Amino acid sequence: MAKKSFVGNLKAFFEKDLVQYIVKRVLMFIPTLLLISILVFFVIQLPPGDYVSAHIAALATEGELVDADYAASMREDYGLDLPVWQQYIKWVKDIIWTPSDTPYYRLYHSHHNWKYSFAYGRDVWSVVNDRLGLTIGVTFIIMLFQYLVSIPIAVYASTHQYSVGDYISAIIGFLGTAIPNFILAIVLMYLSYRWTGNANVGLFTQEMLKNGVHLYNFGDFMKRMIIPIVVIGTSGTCGIIRSVRAQMLDEVARQYTLTARAKGVPEGKIIMKYCFRAAINPTVSGLGGVLSSLFSGSTVTAMVLNMQIQGPVLYKALQSQDMYLAGAIVMIQAVLVVIGVLLSDIALAFLDPRIRYSGGNR
Amino acid sequence: MRKKNSRLLSMVLAAATSMTMLAGCGGAATPNESGVDTNTSTEQAGTEATTEEVSQVEVNLGSYSEAPMLADQVSAGTLPAVEERIPDADNVFVETVDATGAHLEIGNYGGVINLAGAGGGWGLSRPTLESIIRYNTDGSYYPNVIKAFDHNDDYTEWTFHLREGMKWSDGEPFTADDITFWYYMCHLSNFDSKKNGWPALKEEVDGEDAWAKLTKVDDYTVTWTFVNPKYPADFIENGDFKWCWAPAHYLSDLIPDSEDFPYVENEYWQSTGLSEEEVLANAQKKGIDAATVKDLGKAVSYNFWNTSGLPTLNSFVLSTVPGNSSKDDTLCIMDRNPYFWKVDAAGNQLPYVDALHFNTTSEDGQDLLMFRSGEIDIITIAMKDISATLGDLGDAAELREWGTTNWGSYQITFNYTNTDENYATLFANPDFREAMSICVDRKQVSELLSDGFLEPGQAAPAEGNIGYDEEWATKWTEYDVDKAKSLLEGCGLVMGSDGFYDFADGSDFMLTFLAYDGGADESYPVFEQYYKAVGINCALKNLEVAAFDEQIDNNDWVAVMGPHTAIGGASLKDRAAPFVPIAQSSEWYGEYGTYYQTKGAQGVEPTGDMAKLVEIYDKWRSTSDEAERDAYQEQIYQIHKDNLWSLAYLKAENSYELINSKIKNYADNLVWADCYQYANMTHYEVLFKAE
Repeated sequence: MAKKSFVGNLKAFFEKDLVQYIVKRVLMFIPTLLLISILVFFVIQLPPGDYVSAHIAALATEGELVDADYAASMREDYGLDLPVWQQYIKWVKDIIWTPSDTPYYRLYHSHHNWKYSFAYGRDVWSVVNDRLGLTIGVTFIIMLFQYLVSIPIAVYASTHQYSVGDYISAIIGFLGTAIPNFILAIVLMYLSYRWTGNANVGLFTQEMLKNGVHLYNFGDFMKRMIIPIVVIGTSGTCGIIRSVRAQMLDEVARQYTLTARAKGVPEGKIIMKYCFRAAINPTVSGLGGVLSSLFSGSTVTAMVLNMQIQGPVLYKALQSQDMYLAGAIVMIQAVLVVIGVLLSDIALAFLDPRIRYSGGNR
Repeated sequence: MRKKNSRLLSMVLAAATSMTMLAGCGGAATPNESGVDTNTSTEQAGTEATTEEVSQVEVNLGSYSEAPMLADQVSAGTLPAVEERIPDADNVFVETVDATGAHLEIGNYGGVINLAGAGGGWGLSRPTLESIIRYNTDGSYYPNVIKAFDHNDDYTEWTFHLREGMKWSDGEPFTADDITFWYYMCHLSNFDSKKNGWPALKEEVDGEDAWAKLTKVDDYTVTWTFVNPKYPADFIENGDFKWCWAPAHYLSDLIPDSEDFPYVENEYWQSTGLSEEEVLANAQKKGIDAATVKDLGKAVSYNFWNTSGLPTLNSFVLSTVPGNSSKDDTLCIMDRNPYFWKVDAAGNQLPYVDALHFNTTSEDGQDLLMFRSGEIDIITIAMKDISATLGDLGDAAELREWGTTNWGSYQITFNYTNTDENYATLFANPDFREAMSICVDRKQVSELLSDGFLEPGQAAPAEGNIGYDEEWATKWTEYDVDKAKSLLEGCGLVMGSDGFYDFADGSDFMLTFLAYDGGADESYPVFEQYYKAVGINCALKNLEVAAFDEQIDNNDWVAVMGPHTAIGGASLKDRAAPFVPIAQSSEWYGEYGTYYQTKGAQGVEPTGDMAKLVEIYDKWRSTSDEAERDAYQEQIYQIHKDNLWSLAYLKAENSYELINSKIKNYADNLVWADCYQYANMTHYEVLFKAE
């Protein structure tokens, strides 16, 4: 295997076949996403009734009576009286391109009409956007925690196989995976209430919700992050620890490692430069899903902890048959999965030059 | 309210209420015929007995005081002085008693009351809405936003007198123009989607729907004129008729003149000439995001409390700070209305607290945790959680009990208009209903489903409510399996080889109960064992609420466990639809209601007692005589008692709230009912946090 420098890797990155590969993959996006969009739209339509019937039922629960004319005219306004396929075509068309001579463009100055969220009575995009920053921020912090904690532990566990530390990390890791997130969340909230008198419900204190998060209350915010980080973080770390550990153990026993060791290469260099690099391949290929879970991960935990991120919005939208909002969120997730897979493939190629794109014509 | 003596007391105190207002504010709540009438004439003796107590409420409106935060704005020159903001002593509303008639403490200003999330279209309105009239717990009422109302002798003309000097929350004067604007531009154009839905302003002339004529007499007087007599129950007391105003100065560029929302000819307002698109663009400039004109109309002239920036007459107004200005925000804030037109007996402008904070949570139970840690001040709590929570919190929390107007819990009802003749005939037989009622051991049900908290009962008015009748409340409640079996056989059912009853023609009798949103998941297995034990084969079909409603509307159902719109309520005048088959609403009359609502075009024509209900209801609607109306109402109750179209197995459950004990002026024994707008009865403007 030729030894390649970083620059060499970068150069390989722009080899003709890679560019071709990327272009091909990007072109493949179009049919993939179209198929997904059809699936999404029709699955969302599957439950009986539509938003109007759900809305009227909600009104009835509040003691309001609605006559049939109102329901009919509401369906007409929202285009829910059209056949499903016509609704679908209109939906996709408006998302891709809304011309400048439409009322939507004149009102919102955007060519991409994701339509309205019935439940929020607002433009879908503005609802999604509301929580986007927070969602990405929070999930990013949690993921960072996951990788920063689990990878060193995995490396330690593999180099100290069957030691006390290995067992302890395994036990904690398995417990984290085995305990359902929502139970752990409830238990931690309870303990927090018992010990501090505050259950830390939600990511923000009321003061932050009113005045925003600033430097002076950032400490409080991080305190509120403890439970989500522990709950969501621990559930993911075990998987990473086990796979990296197993891979590492494989690599450590490989001949090239023995050779390097025999030649007197320092142990740290062997582990980090050779074994570790090979061992994190599966982890990197798993990054494909990360993008989409950044966008709307941990729904159940978020609900238990009252975290105002995207997941619960999707859940509520599905419940109230707020179909354009639900559709938008699921579609964006799908796009992110597709992009994520591509990015992780590219990252893998960068990490491991043995991987090539068009098979055998190296 | 549940106990008889406390009810009597509250009636007496309520009578004192209006007398107080009369004595105290020199016409602020000018009593008029109707206002005094409702303080139940039978309690006259009581009223006299308390006149001494009345004089004890000292009302001193020499000068007004205001919250320090407003005083600061006044001295900074950003807000006019309090005397210029609110009406003078003759027109201001002086709030001295709560809804039970108890005297209010003079409070201190400041602080915030934290509440659980507002949810739903009406959540923010409950603690803040100021309506045309306001009810006391005994059903008496008094003018609220309006200063007084009266009517001519034959009830064809109703006059509203407004409070001079009253202002919208942005400081613009509130006048008769705001009422004509609401009526002609928002309501009759159907911009608020309620033109057909509000019976208060509607009547029938020559078999056609017609609407009242509204006349502006002067800046502070308007008159509603009808062709036929319009009696209080159908007008001022109608539960839907909560407001009749909209801020004309703010909305004038938001009303379209389009095909769907055409301009209605009137002498006060001209067509805006705006297209629907222009209106939506104008709304967006004001920060109101609406998908359609219908959404816009509902946002600004119906659920207006949910729209940030819109002037209102309510005690608190929605914040305009992004992130806190929508009911969907994690923290939704409603700030005090600086122009609020009510004062306490010492002339302090209300409300006392600076703001209401609504804390949206995503799961049940989170609000309880937040209450425990002091982040929420008032929560609704389930009976089972009360003792543990109070035990932990000690003196820091207090319990408030709300009476209920529901007719019993664990209700079932049957489809009397079922298209299958076998079922329809069976259900029509009262013996069948009796069998369904007595085949259940209520004591055991009480233990199993409510830990013994709820006593055995029937679908009947609860103690302390209008129409309470012990015989009715215990009718068919004696557990007797043998009698149930013989009743079923008397209905023509025949025991089949499978151990379950069949119809006489040999076809299977299967009682499939519909339920929605898992409402019967816990209770059905309990009832199932009793039904099966007497030989009734049954099943549960749980649906998501919209699908449930659809199946009911399509008349495609046999029985319901836990109806969506239960039978009965506070009284006929508060909301008649759950009492008589007049709308496509309650399950217990199904298609009979559709028949009345569509004037016979659809549905099934009621017969027998069902028809009698409608007949009496029509008579009840068209008489001005209070005593006669009560007599009709009694007849309707009697028919319900005879038939028991809905069955209940346990008594109705009261509601409970826990409040932070620092909060003062929060009355106990209020009544949790739609007609009283639930939490609205608390009068949040007078709550304060003791320092």
